[in-house]
Amino acid sequence: MMMPNAARTLAAVETASIRVAVAGNPNSGKSTLINSLAGTRLHVGNWPGVTVEKKEATLDHRGRSIALIDLPGTYSLSPYTEEEIIARDFLVHDRPDVIVDVVDATNLERNLYLTVQLLELGIPVVVALNIYDEAEKKGYKIDVRAMEIALGVKVVPTVATRKTGMGDLLEAVTGATAKGSRNVPRSLNYGEDIEAAVQKLTADVARRHPALAEKYPERWLALKLVEGDHHVLAEANLSDADSLAKDAVGHLKEAHGEDLESLMADARYSLAAGLTREVLKRPAVKTTELTEKIDRVVLNRFLGIPIFLAAMWLVFKLTFDMSKPFVDWLDGTINGPFTRWVETLMGFLHGPEWLVSLVTKGVIGGVGFVLVFVPVIFAMMFFITFLEGSGYMARAAFVMDRAMHSMGLHGKSFIPMLLGFGCNVPAIYATRTLENPRDKALTALLIPLMSCGARLPVYVLFTGAFFSAQAGMVLWSLYVMGIVLAVLVGVLFKRTLFRGESPVFIMELPPYRMPSGRSLAIHTWEKGKHFLVKAGTYILSVSVLVWFLLNLPWGVENKKDSFLGKAGSAIAPVFAPLGFGNWEASSSLIAGVIAKEIVVGTMGEIYVKEIEKKPEGPAPTFFEDLREIGTSFAASGKEAFSNVFSTFGIASLKAEEKEGRATLRSVIGKTFTPLSGYAFMVFVLLYMPCVVTAVAFRHEFGTWKWFGVAFVYQTVLAWSAAFVIYQGGKLLGFGG
Amino acid sequence: MMNLAMLKPGEKGRIAKIGAIGPLRRRLMDMGVLVGEEITVEKIAPLGDPIEITVKNYNLSLRKKEAEGILLEATR
Repeated sequence: MMMPNAARTLAAVETASIRVAVAGNPNSGKSTLINSLAGTRLHVGNWPGVTVEKKEATLDHRGRSIALIDLPGTYSLSPYTEEEIIARDFLVHDRPDVIVDVVDATNLERNLYLTVQLLELGIPVVVALNIYDEAEKKGYKIDVRAMEIALGVKVVPTVATRKTGMGDLLEAVTGATAKGSRNVPRSLNYGEDIEAAVQKLTADVARRHPALAEKYPERWLALKLVEGDHHVLAEANLSDADSLAKDAVGHLKEAHGEDLESLMADARYSLAAGLTREVLKRPAVKTTELTEKIDRVVLNRFLGIPIFLAAMWLVFKLTFDMSKPFVDWLDGTINGPFTRWVETLMGFLHGPEWLVSLVTKGVIGGVGFVLVFVPVIFAMMFFITFLEGSGYMARAAFVMDRAMHSMGLHGKSFIPMLLGFGCNVPAIYATRTLENPRDKALTALLIPLMSCGARLPVYVLFTGAFFSAQAGMVLWSLYVMGIVLAVLVGVLFKRTLFRGESPVFIMELPPYRMPSGRSLAIHTWEKGKHFLVKAGTYILSVSVLVWFLLNLPWGVENKKDSFLGKAGSAIAPVFAPLGFGNWEASSSLIAGVIAKEIVVGTMGEIYVKEIEKKPEGPAPTFFEDLREIGTSFAASGKEAFSNVFSTFGIASLKAEEKEGRATLRSVIGKTFTPLSGYAFMVFVLLYMPCVVTAVAFRHEFGTWKWFGVAFVYQTVLAWSAAFVIYQGGKLLGFGG
Repeated sequence: MMNLAMLKPGEKGRIAKIGAIGPLRRRLMDMGVLVGEEITVEKIAPLGDPIEITVKNYNLSLRKKEAEGILLEATR
């Protein structure tokens, strides 16, 4: 009689999806393990309200659906870092069915310290003993069976980079939730004193705060009360002085002093150390490892910095030079053949002229604008992931920290700032390597002061018009001005907006490892896709908006009467004290908000009214177009390759002189003076970041707040700097 | 008393006391920097700060300012 019922319940349990939280130390290969398990099913988002990445995936194992949730990598579940709080809140409040604890087999003791804390939660745990191959190579002998007995949970050796042990791991996960599973984490014994306090607290909580006993795992709560964990105390509405904890831990404090938190950390490490001694046999003779050999060179007192700079030069070059031909190809294809096809098609359908212009210039132009960033974002993400995955990022931070720390930044801030010279957009995305929210925000705020490649055409135009004799000097002065101002603004922000202790620098230097191709591909693809979808929508809307500004009222002959021209005329007086208070310059600056190089294009349209139209031959046919796209793509690939290997300079920073620029240059020469021209360049260097950078800010921080700060300070800074230069220059007699 | 920042590369000591308090103290302890633990200074960064140490068989880097708060029994 009982059978059908029991079978039904069992079936119900077995069809429900298993929620698996994946926890582990940073550098334990957790990310690679998730990638190996999930592959392309991985979904990358953010934890609500914070900038910490959240990865999820759903997969099937023997007809059961398994939902993986990747927790941030943490060393502990203490209440001090964002990552740790996210991880523990999820574990305590969302109660996953199973925890997969990824443990680095080459670094057992420190990894088991987290395991000990995970076992306290009363949730079935499966230990993935990862990087098992490396441990074996080092001659480590790990008694997996003894480990299972000591912990009371299943332990599965894995090599995530080679997908070894993934099946066993999933098997253990489903096994852990099966009825009658023997996967019951053992309550590790913290020693007589602590255990007595825990027992008393458990009983007291059950009696006096039954609601709390419902809400939290009982042993975990008792341990947290012993520790005096302020996060839990606040959340549970228990003040420190609550008699509950006081009674129970009073004698502990007498015996061990006030600092029970340290006592608990000590107790947990003793457990981890004891476990390690029990299960691990290390070879007696320690061999010099590869990591040590590499570090002898890479972190060498004299070679460290030159090697770092060379590595950075290479990353910069690879990111921007390798993607540049593809950017040009995309740009050419979209603005050339593709636009032509749409024009033809719309002409065929008798679309009105304004609609054709809106679609080709506004919409396609906007889409093209988004697309051209994609190769750079892909390339940047690829190299950043490589640097992090290989272990060099930590070394870079180690080498550069002293210099960056003086600005209130972190050693890892250097790389995003450097990428800023190529393009601020990937640079903002690259701040994700900074774990601390304060470091990350401050770094992002300073990035726009790094003069990006898009500002270069403006400099080239103006230096060409006024300073052709000292062009190099003038260019150099602008880049240096950006850097010097970044240092000053950094110091200023450190004392104002980011007052207080700068975050500590306690960073693991993980062994060098070859990141798996799969991990690289997944991270690169995810970021690129994210950018396309999320940033794409914003940028497209702005592009359409600017089209309206430029072309409305429809049919304006004189650009001065367009909305953009009117807006330019309206704000022109603001720029008068800077030496360029005319509608032409201000309109160009407004349009430059899309991307700073557009300043030049807009000036061209405004100043050079009759842009000499080249006599065009018969339009190429559809098939000729297709062939052209194909051959030019192949040529791009070749160029990307040769850019990397043949040139020693940086190809992407060379601004080409386009045809028709000579006319513009001579007009500029007449409407600006050398002094106002220089002030204008400084203004372009410093004024608000472009729309795409704004979107990157919003995207990376989940709020407009930091972009708002950048917008305000840069506007003030740009105006003041240009004012000082123009007025100061006039006083010094450099002419108006 | 000796502190960690005073050691030269290659020298080691045993931790006697951790002067830091609050989050920093907990962070150090979570990373295995505990009283009684043996600690070796491996390298000093090219610009003089931070330093690289070995503790519990893995490599960690921290700034000298933090290292000054970690007091040692001199063992060399």
